[in-house]
Amino acid sequence: MKKRFFVKIRIVKQISVLFLTALLAVISGCGDSDKDSEGTNDKETIVITMIAKSSANPVFISAKTGAIKTAEALTEKYSKLKVVIDWQNPENESASEQAEIIRNVVKNGTKAIIVSCSDEDTLTQTINYAVDNGVEVMTFDSDAPNSKRFAFYGPDDLEMGKKLMKELAGLIDGKGKIAVLGGNRMANNLQERVKGIIAAAVDYPDIEIVGTYYHPETEEDAVAIMTEVMKLNPDLKGWAMVGSWAFFGERLKSVIEPGKIKIVAVDALPMQLEYIEKNFVQVLLGQPTFTWGEVSVQTVIDKIYLNKKVKEIIRLKMIPVTIKNLGGWSRQLRAWGYENIPEKYLVM
Amino acid sequence: MSTKEIHKTAPKDKIPNGQKFAYGLGSIVNNLLGGAIGYMSIVLNVGLGINPALVGTLQAIPRLTDALTDPVMGYISDNTRSRYGRRRPYIFIGAIFVGLVFALMWQLPEGYSEMFYFWFFLIGSIIFYLFYTMFATPWVALGYELTSDYHERTRLMGVMNFMGQFAWITLPWFYAFMENDRFFSDSVQGARTLAIIIGVFVAVVGIMPAIFTKERFVGKDKEIKIKNKLVEGLKKNIALFFKGLVITLKRVEFLKLCAGTFFLFNGIMLVGAFSSYITIFYVCGGDKSMGAYYMGLFGTVTTISTLAAIAGVTWISSRIGKRKTFIIATAIMMFGSLLKWFCYDPMVPWKVIIPAPFIAVGMGALFTLMGSMIADVCDLDELETGERREGMFGSIYWWMVKLGMAIAFGLSGFLLNGTGFVVDFGGAQTSSTFFWMRVVDVGIPAVGALIAIYSVASFKITEERSYEIRSELEKRRSKLITVEKIAPST
Repeated sequence: MKKRFFVKIRIVKQISVLFLTALLAVISGCGDSDKDSEGTNDKETIVITMIAKSSANPVFISAKTGAIKTAEALTEKYSKLKVVIDWQNPENESASEQAEIIRNVVKNGTKAIIVSCSDEDTLTQTINYAVDNGVEVMTFDSDAPNSKRFAFYGPDDLEMGKKLMKELAGLIDGKGKIAVLGGNRMANNLQERVKGIIAAAVDYPDIEIVGTYYHPETEEDAVAIMTEVMKLNPDLKGWAMVGSWAFFGERLKSVIEPGKIKIVAVDALPMQLEYIEKNFVQVLLGQPTFTWGEVSVQTVIDKIYLNKKVKEIIRLKMIPVTIKNLGGWSRQLRAWGYENIPEKYLVM
Repeated sequence: MSTKEIHKTAPKDKIPNGQKFAYGLGSIVNNLLGGAIGYMSIVLNVGLGINPALVGTLQAIPRLTDALTDPVMGYISDNTRSRYGRRRPYIFIGAIFVGLVFALMWQLPEGYSEMFYFWFFLIGSIIFYLFYTMFATPWVALGYELTSDYHERTRLMGVMNFMGQFAWITLPWFYAFMENDRFFSDSVQGARTLAIIIGVFVAVVGIMPAIFTKERFVGKDKEIKIKNKLVEGLKKNIALFFKGLVITLKRVEFLKLCAGTFFLFNGIMLVGAFSSYITIFYVCGGDKSMGAYYMGLFGTVTTISTLAAIAGVTWISSRIGKRKTFIIATAIMMFGSLLKWFCYDPMVPWKVIIPAPFIAVGMGALFTLMGSMIADVCDLDELETGERREGMFGSIYWWMVKLGMAIAFGLSGFLLNGTGFVVDFGGAQTSSTFFWMRVVDVGIPAVGALIAIYSVASFKITEERSYEIRSELEKRRSKLITVEKIAPST
């Protein structure tokens, strides 16, 4: 009996040695020989310059968080890669300043640029200059479609405009006067949204658009023009806003009565949550702005490091924010890096 | 002396620790094989660009063949008579071939069409599952018959379940291994290498139960031997197979165990994805990395707790019996499920891990006690039919588990849609959606646990009855074994 036991033990030992040998052979033989020959500590550093429209616009806060978090995750995932985000933006919106930043970083050796274009015409040439000098360029939020950028990540602005109109029409039962708040007339993306609103209005013959109003993208200017329009049109039923500059502060609260005029707008930032809660605004089309950074940085790495084919147009999906999902949206904003979100929203 | 006595396992009924360990190694292999394809299939989509729907089909079709092959293999094994036993030859050959096929099926060449990969992998999967069945069904049945002692069975199942957990600890690391750019240029190359490592491991470790365990029923039943010499032809075997299948399915005590497992296990499986979704999108507000961290922490606490629970359940069962232990453990799991309602707190995310140990108790107890209780049913079945049919019982039981899992995975998507969940909205789901997600996540496992308790509460093979059955069987075999009894306090 004992003899049999020891025979079995010997068999196990032999099998174990064979197994370990095979395992070592497999592991040592199956690695990528090219990559193995490189020193494991020699990380290739890729600097990506990300240029927002302005530091005054809080919509870019989470884009920055998304870019940095993604860079960290990619650095952790790939043993031979280090991704660094060089975040830059003009203090106030200025296409020429953005162009200057691009020219500077090209000279300083950045590997790729991700930019939200304040003005398509001004930036097209500069983007082409960067690409001609070996720097890959991708746009997000606002595109320069005629430039040599390899990809754009952002919403379908025309569809977004249509969605705004549809939501507003539902709120005013498909009839009455409405106005469009258009923001910066030069911004390609905003113009597309306005086009979408007007195109969708055709489906609602009882809705009259009293006008599209452009203005510098500040709260003060937005509220001022809204006040003027509402004075001129006391029977105004609703506003379709292609941006939410009017909710950047408290001014609007003293200008309109909650629920009396229906408002749908693009963007749903922390300071706008109270407007939803108190029924000043009924629908906000929130952009997952965190993904501006997340998807753009991943796409750049796919293109320049992993040599993958990437789509030229990558669509961002809008999230309608109403009183029904105010809690979920608030928690999402917190997760995207926004601070000081009132607890009452986080526990909704 | 207390009125309740505890049977002490006679020395001759004790399974040597080496044999328990060898049998437990089979559990690692079994779980590894069961989970590996699921964990590695992401490569088919991410690495080779196969449509996710086709990947799903690739996983579903071979499962359908299981429905037939599992009971057939159980029947074949039950009726095999050889000098090496009814189980061990199949375990030995099955382990070697399943390891080989697994290693080969992942050697996917590059540069071919989607349909090439589909057919390559489908054929490979079907062959893989055939050999997997050849290994697993006799291995499960072997566990039911290694000892005739009521408590020793539970100890064996405890060791088996305990060791099997190590496969579940390893599996979640597969993707990270395949994606590791220090070793591989891409995940497809990673999958090729990983498959070879797993294949070698399976072939080497999988044969251990065949080499080191000892079967109790080796070619001594003349009646059955004559019946299955195949001289009476295939027809008779098919008839016998279906007869056995019907008898198995009519065994009420067995059906109670199946029902208990089905509702308890699949209650958890059905909402398996919900916990992740709620943690990521509700508790962590859509922060996937934070959600992944807490899910990882939840998994770690669950694993550690499960290991502890298996040891605890095995010990308690020898004091109060399997049925009572199962009911208590399942009730604790039900409590853990209900506790989730209060622990999903966006303001205090770490609370998500609190229910984990309670839920682990139920899951740890389930496959430890069920295996042992099915072995008791096999004794009862032998008493009434004169045949040992562990293979048939084991294959039907595990087929039921696999079928339940497939149904659960299929239904979970519909259930998630039913709550109003929209994936594009990330953490910005409506309050109503989150409410219903939590109701489902908490409610279904709790109700499943309740039904499981109800099903098993009337299970009639108690400790006393089990020893009576054994005694009658031994008498029948003209070999009565006196069962030594001692009081718990003495």
